[in-house]
Amino acid sequence: MEAQKKILVLCGGKFAFKALQLLAFEKFICAIGIGKGSHTIIDALEREAEDNNFGFKSFPNTKSISEMRTWIDRIQPDYIFCISFPFLLPESVLAYGENKFINFHPGPLPQYRGPMPIFEVLKNQETETAICAHFMNSKFDEGNIIFNDPIVIETGDTYGKLTVKLSEHLAQVALNTANMLQFGNNIPNEPQDETRSYYYEKPDLSDTYINWKRMTAEEIISLINACNPWNNGADATLLGEQIKIISAHLLNEPHENQPGTIVSFTTTLNIACEDKKQIAIEILSADQGIMTASQFIELKPVLAGIPN
Amino acid sequence: MQTIGILLARSTYYQSISFDLYEGLRSGLKHLGKNDIRIVTENIGFGADKQQCYRSAEKLLLEENVSLVIAYIGHRMAQLLRPLFLAANKMLIVLDAGANLPHEWPACPNIFYHSLHNSLGASIAARQAVNDGYTSAGMVTGYYDGGYLHTYGISKGFEENGGKITFNHATGYKEDDFTIAPLKDHLEKFPNSALLSLFSGDFVHWYFEAIKNSFEGKNIPIYLPPFGLEEMMLADAEYPGDNIKGIAAWSKKIDSEENKIFIETITATNRTPNIFSLLSWESASLALKVIELIDLSKNNMTQIASGIKSFTFKSPRGTIYFDSKTNTSISPLYNSTIIPNSEGKCEIQIESIANDVFEHFQKLTNQNLNNSTSAWYNSYTCI
Repeated sequence: MEAQKKILVLCGGKFAFKALQLLAFEKFICAIGIGKGSHTIIDALEREAEDNNFGFKSFPNTKSISEMRTWIDRIQPDYIFCISFPFLLPESVLAYGENKFINFHPGPLPQYRGPMPIFEVLKNQETETAICAHFMNSKFDEGNIIFNDPIVIETGDTYGKLTVKLSEHLAQVALNTANMLQFGNNIPNEPQDETRSYYYEKPDLSDTYINWKRMTAEEIISLINACNPWNNGADATLLGEQIKIISAHLLNEPHENQPGTIVSFTTTLNIACEDKKQIAIEILSADQGIMTASQFIELKPVLAGIPN
Repeated sequence: MQTIGILLARSTYYQSISFDLYEGLRSGLKHLGKNDIRIVTENIGFGADKQQCYRSAEKLLLEENVSLVIAYIGHRMAQLLRPLFLAANKMLIVLDAGANLPHEWPACPNIFYHSLHNSLGASIAARQAVNDGYTSAGMVTGYYDGGYLHTYGISKGFEENGGKITFNHATGYKEDDFTIAPLKDHLEKFPNSALLSLFSGDFVHWYFEAIKNSFEGKNIPIYLPPFGLEEMMLADAEYPGDNIKGIAAWSKKIDSEENKIFIETITATNRTPNIFSLLSWESASLALKVIELIDLSKNNMTQIASGIKSFTFKSPRGTIYFDSKTNTSISPLYNSTIIPNSEGKCEIQIESIANDVFEHFQKLTNQNLNNSTSAWYNSYTCI
């Protein structure tokens, strides 16, 4: 029996917890590094690392990455797994060993490079996403692909729901990869097909904003789901006010209103879309706070003339 | 020339299992007119050694460059091989006894499960016991068989249909440790109980013999899943009583042209047709479909998976199709009873085709296992 491979995991927080638990249970982990992260999460990880005799190091900012190579040299892991680690690893760190660094990207590669593929696949109305295991090079998400492990996106999945699902799936994928490294003589991998690649920048307001005149009802629902909860909803203008729509569903009722205007309200606020369909807003965030559509309606005497 | 790889397991009490698996595939391909396909085999022992299984699969994929791999393994071992097949962009067809229930029914485009459905059969047999009027039952199994989650399938199947499990008995691993003595006490306390029994291989012989010796003439009601009704073992088992029934996956007595051809072909190779040769005989149809789809789709695994999901074929046990949610084959199951032959041994009598098999399978796959876990990696019956 060959000695168990020692894996150092670099992570960005909660998303990696299930994978850390499973890898630790199967005795693969030798050390954990965390990039950025809240004090609560760093403290919790450090405690766990101490209790289990794992190495531990926090990397709060880009500057601290300069200490990483010395730390890795001291630990001497067989492999380094990156799970949502927020910083790019420099050549000096990657020089620790060729094909020793494996990133688990929460989206299919090469099509969904970038920091928030979960947002992008939901916004683009994909029906399937993947966790991509790939060797790392000095550019974000560009090393050779080992595999894309697919996972179905279900109707109604929000950013939050899909993140939890991916985090659970990631645990098994990371363990499978550890086993692959443990037992395999050769890890099959392929360079990324650059003709199919796309790098999505971190979304800004132009990506999270509902354009009532140009977007169909289904596109709007997908954007709302893609923004819940990380952006506190999709940004929109309604009745001249900036709001964020947190939860809404498709209302398959035709209308003759201008896109972005209120058609009717009941327990939901029903908004006209450009494809003659409507979306029914359930929960939103306004200057007064997060509220249901009914609570929002009570704040707006101007809605008195609209059918309900 | 196309090459198919097959991972062969071995078993102490099904000593011919690897020959049966190989011959089923070889004869199946030949029957389908494909003499020109090369079969490469790798031995995986009992299917429990992760390194041995992984390296064998790796060898077939990377050294032999096979078009696909067929393997008699369980869900846990398939999960271990999943990244290798994803990375190699090749298809794995798992020949699955169906004895275990996975915690998450995995749907990976590179892995399809072709099953004998022991857990599903166990669950339907338990329902049959309730329909026959038994509201109380004991689950009877052994150290080895009890390690697979068909135990959950059979007990849950009984309880969900209104029955109550009033006792459990798990006997030892070796023949010397095998005892059903506690059943006497249990049946005195709960006299109208059915025995929901999970045994395979030699354990079936020991169980039937013990039932005969302890309860002769009492016709204790016993319900069995597909492996308890495996005909090769039954042929050497003492007939224990008149009230033994269950769910069979296949029988030599299934009256169809496909079954006749299968039996004649395997018999002509001097082998006894059984559920293992059946499973790999059927896998020949699947393998050819995969090869056809590889060609058509230019190796696009998503399209190949989609093609398999809509693929149906006629087999010796009836029409087979796939559940697209779990990538698992669904086949007819048979309500069966055990009858004696002229030598006082056992044989199956097919009573009817079981109803609602697919609906029952969907229910089974949606079940919460309530933290029940199995630690067995072995391919079922491989010890």
